[in-house]
Amino acid sequence: MKGLIDFLNILLPVLYVTTFIFYYVDFMKGGKVIANSKRLLLFLTLIFHLFYLLFRTIYFEHPPITNVFEIFTVLAFAIGFSYFILELVTDISGTGLFIIIISILFQIVSSFFIQDQIAVKDVLKSNLLGVHVFSALLGYSAITISAVYGFLYLILYKEIKLNKFGLIFNRLPSLEVLELLSFYSAVIGFILLTFAIIIGIIWLPKAFPDFSLIDPKLIGTSLVWILYGTGITSKIFGKWRGKKVVTLSIIGFVLAIASTMITNFLAQSFHSFY
Amino acid sequence: MNLSAISINHRSAPVELREALHLSEEEIAELIAKIKGNIFSEGLVISTCNRTEVYGFPSDQKLLAPDIQKILVDHKSVKNISAENFQTFHSFSAVEHLFRVATGIDSLLIGDNQIFRQVKDSFRLAEDLSFTGVLSKRIFDAAIRTGKRAISETEISEGAVTVSYAAVQLIEKIFSNLNKKSALVIGVGETGEIAARHLLDRGIGKLSITNRTLERAEKLASSLNAKVIPFGSFKDYVHDFDIIISATSAPELILTRQDIEDAMKQRNYASMILMDIAVPRDIDPASKIIDYVFYHDIDSLNIIVDRNLAKRRDEIPKVEKIIREELDSLMNWYNSLEAGPTIKSLRDYFEGIRAEEVEKNKNRFSGEDQEKLDIITKRIINKILHHPTVELKKLSGEGHSDDEIAARISILREIFGMDKPGSEEDKKD
Repeated sequence: MKGLIDFLNILLPVLYVTTFIFYYVDFMKGGKVIANSKRLLLFLTLIFHLFYLLFRTIYFEHPPITNVFEIFTVLAFAIGFSYFILELVTDISGTGLFIIIISILFQIVSSFFIQDQIAVKDVLKSNLLGVHVFSALLGYSAITISAVYGFLYLILYKEIKLNKFGLIFNRLPSLEVLELLSFYSAVIGFILLTFAIIIGIIWLPKAFPDFSLIDPKLIGTSLVWILYGTGITSKIFGKWRGKKVVTLSIIGFVLAIASTMITNFLAQSFHSFY
Repeated sequence: MNLSAISINHRSAPVELREALHLSEEEIAELIAKIKGNIFSEGLVISTCNRTEVYGFPSDQKLLAPDIQKILVDHKSVKNISAENFQTFHSFSAVEHLFRVATGIDSLLIGDNQIFRQVKDSFRLAEDLSFTGVLSKRIFDAAIRTGKRAISETEISEGAVTVSYAAVQLIEKIFSNLNKKSALVIGVGETGEIAARHLLDRGIGKLSITNRTLERAEKLASSLNAKVIPFGSFKDYVHDFDIIISATSAPELILTRQDIEDAMKQRNYASMILMDIAVPRDIDPASKIIDYVFYHDIDSLNIIVDRNLAKRRDEIPKVEKIIREELDSLMNWYNSLEAGPTIKSLRDYFEGIRAEEVEKNKNRFSGEDQEKLDIITKRIINKILHHPTVELKKLSGEGHSDDEIAARISILREIFGMDKPGSEEDKKD
């Protein structure tokens, strides 16, 4: 099984890149054959990825959530899977390449640096932690998708304002749809992150009795949570709309990723598991 | 094939002459009644705002294109028209022209799919008036198939190619669902009316109209089920609208940047689209710098139109390929309607059935009887086919026109299903 895991670890970036190429060709040229093939290819990639995650879980006797590179591969899967469901439900397929590229980045980094870790720290052997990580990852994938749609909204907004009616104008859905997709993804992400934070707050004092309230992870997470909370509330009450809300979503995403990077690689935090 | 066609269209005549020769459905029916039988045995008349065309199989072999032109010109009592204002086509070039018309590549607006519907309607009218026969039906069916294939297999009809439709396409790139949006059309000239109708076709939630002359606004509003706003007070309601299309002939701006800024404040900066399709412009172009205001004038809409027209032009070779395929198929069918090949096909068809039945049942007979069975069944088939063979050979010697012979042979082939897939002939291929 180890050989199969290693093979899939190399194969997955290749599959994601191939899928991305199909989505790119469809975006540039269109056509029914390529449109059907790209969806099938994404589905197959996700099936291979699911097996990879299952094999890792079985062989290393723990779900792949115990270090940042394991988390990256789960995140790549979660983003790809969320997008696949979104594409099936909404039938909006012109945005796939902008989201799959995020999965590619996470998967490539993971494939390069992931280690065969059988021994897991005692502190990580907790059911509460499993729920925390699972909801946080789904939340991160939702805010990633929200940020991508927000970014696309800003590009299309600018193109229409400047009378540029090229590929972006032709292939992307309407501004209203992009804004809605970004907003709904942000709401789903916010709910899941809130849940993850609540579980984290319950678990943290048990796992680390001497934790500090000015821990970088706690500060970063609180900032992200406040940012999304402010944006969503303002949008719901009609104070903010369009550019403001999507820009906030993009800032939230950058902050969330930066917070994860800093706490795992640079700062001393209870959240550094690598 | 003795098919003749004349066409007056945007390539051959100015708009005044095209208008003068335009035929309503009633006038087409009258013309067909006049020419059916004595001029053409079967045929078709097409008339749209950009072309009037007459196709037919002449009853008299000596009939020339100028004679057909004269019939049409006399029918509409048009003067100052010459032979140069007509295009004439004969035989398969007439069929090819019909295919080009049905696919929209001969239209002024390339890929105009309205022409496909108009051609179909013309076929239906010819059928209703019993002006069709075996050959013309086959040609018209092929033309409809060619038109359908062009629409479904190429992008010849994709994208907006008129300013008012481009405006709607642009609106749909900003708002996803027009059912919940409100629109105001300023000016009820031709452009404003077309834009209003496009919005209705796309399911706009609320449509309002304003015009300097109130009566004209009321007239259009009643036909579109829209609300009328008096021109003098429409500025008070600008903030109520998500979409404003302006197409007046006013010499000065009717909406200033300040008007739009005030409206946006009242709307709490909810997106607003301003389509200024008037020349000179009606809305201050400086409005475009206001956040969430999408201002577009005729120049920006023309960018979309030009781009889409260029795309359609790129699709013409694909459509021409479809036309060639359909034309080849029709020519193959027509060439099979000669006496010689049909006699051979008929004999092959019967021989196929005979051989199959003999093969199935030969085991019921002894070896010696099997040989006899073969000889007897062949003799039966020869006797059955003797008379049809003689009649077919006689057809070409009796002075019938090629098209008459083709029509009769076509019926024979149809009766025996010789052109259907899976026929004995096909099995041999």
